Amino acid sequence: MNIEIITPDKKLFSGTVTSVQFPGTNGSFGVKNNHAAIISTLKKGQIKLTTEQNTQEVFEVNGGVVEILANNITVLAE
Amino acid sequence: MANLKEIRNRITSVSSTQQITKAMKMVSAAKLRRAQDAIVQMRPYANKLKDLLENLSSTLESSEGIYSETREVKNVLLIPITSNRGLCGAFNNNVIKKASYLANHEYANAKVSMLCIGKKSDEFFKRTEYHIIGSDLPRHLNELFDNLTFDQVAPVAQLVMNAFANKQFDKVIIIYNQFKNAAVQILQEEQFLPVQKPESSSSGSKVDYLFEPSKEYIVTELIPKSLKIQLYKALLDSHASEHGARMTAMHKATDNAGALIKELKLTYNKARQASITNEILEIVGGAEALKG
Repeated sequence: MNIEIITPDKKLFSGTVTSVQFPGTNGSFGVKNNHAAIISTLKKGQIKLTTEQNTQEVFEVNGGVVEILANNITVLAE
Repeated sequence: MANLKEIRNRITSVSSTQQITKAMKMVSAAKLRRAQDAIVQMRPYANKLKDLLENLSSTLESSEGIYSETREVKNVLLIPITSNRGLCGAFNNNVIKKASYLANHEYANAKVSMLCIGKKSDEFFKRTEYHIIGSDLPRHLNELFDNLTFDQVAPVAQLVMNAFANKQFDKVIIIYNQFKNAAVQILQEEQFLPVQKPESSSSGSKVDYLFEPSKEYIVTELIPKSLKIQLYKALLDSHASEHGARMTAMHKATDNAGALIKELKLTYNKARQASITNEILEIVGGAEALKG
């Protein structure tokens, strides 16, 4: 699935991943392929990505929103 | 006819001015490119946020938050966005004129305050009777342009939003130059608060989203974000416009200086020729006289 992490200043990350972990407002949650469409707010924490090459990427966010739709994830981070 | 030395001095001074304006033009051109890049970088975020909000508020009936409350307009806050430096044509004047017009005509019955961003408007409105709330954060707002990032702008937007929520102001308006292209700026007057309900163009396919934690919560989270983005966008636009305006102004100044130099050179050469002719005449006249 594709993920895009964008901030008002720049695009932080864009690419395909196998799983992602988000710091949701109501607690951390993970997303794998074919997740249902969801819009969720995020709190301060880390977004952890596992890329197709099985490497880990971690991004610090101060909050934001994530939209997941048909295997396309858009993160509006701060 | 002015004497030769005077004209020579003027030519030197005009050409050094020309050099300065040429350099300023080039600096602005470089800065303009960077400012434009920043706008392009911000656009995907702003668009996505707008999409989300439209999508949400079209399905949500009562989105009456603290930021969308319409009250009787008694206290108005104007936010004129200008530059810190001059020499950019009518760029700052347009904003100041518009802000003064709004304060004196449209909102003549309300108490008007100003939050000046940029030294030029600050200097102008300092001398008027309008209460400047920029003085609460001295100089801070002028330094915004030195390092224009979202993290710098967000606290300012938050400050204004808090003031609105505390009923300190009933209406907030941003006045700035929107960037169209390097030569064209469009003066914009935008209502910042209360939030106007987004025009829900419900043409897009409705998707059944899950909402975490709840729809209402997300909307109340997103509205402040979109407000911050709105101010940030206005600032970026103004920043790019400033450099565009300065580039055009300096280009014209360089051209004018060139024309002036050409004219001065012509006068100089004419004067030089006249003096040579004079000299020859004197010599010939002297020689004739000697011949007797």
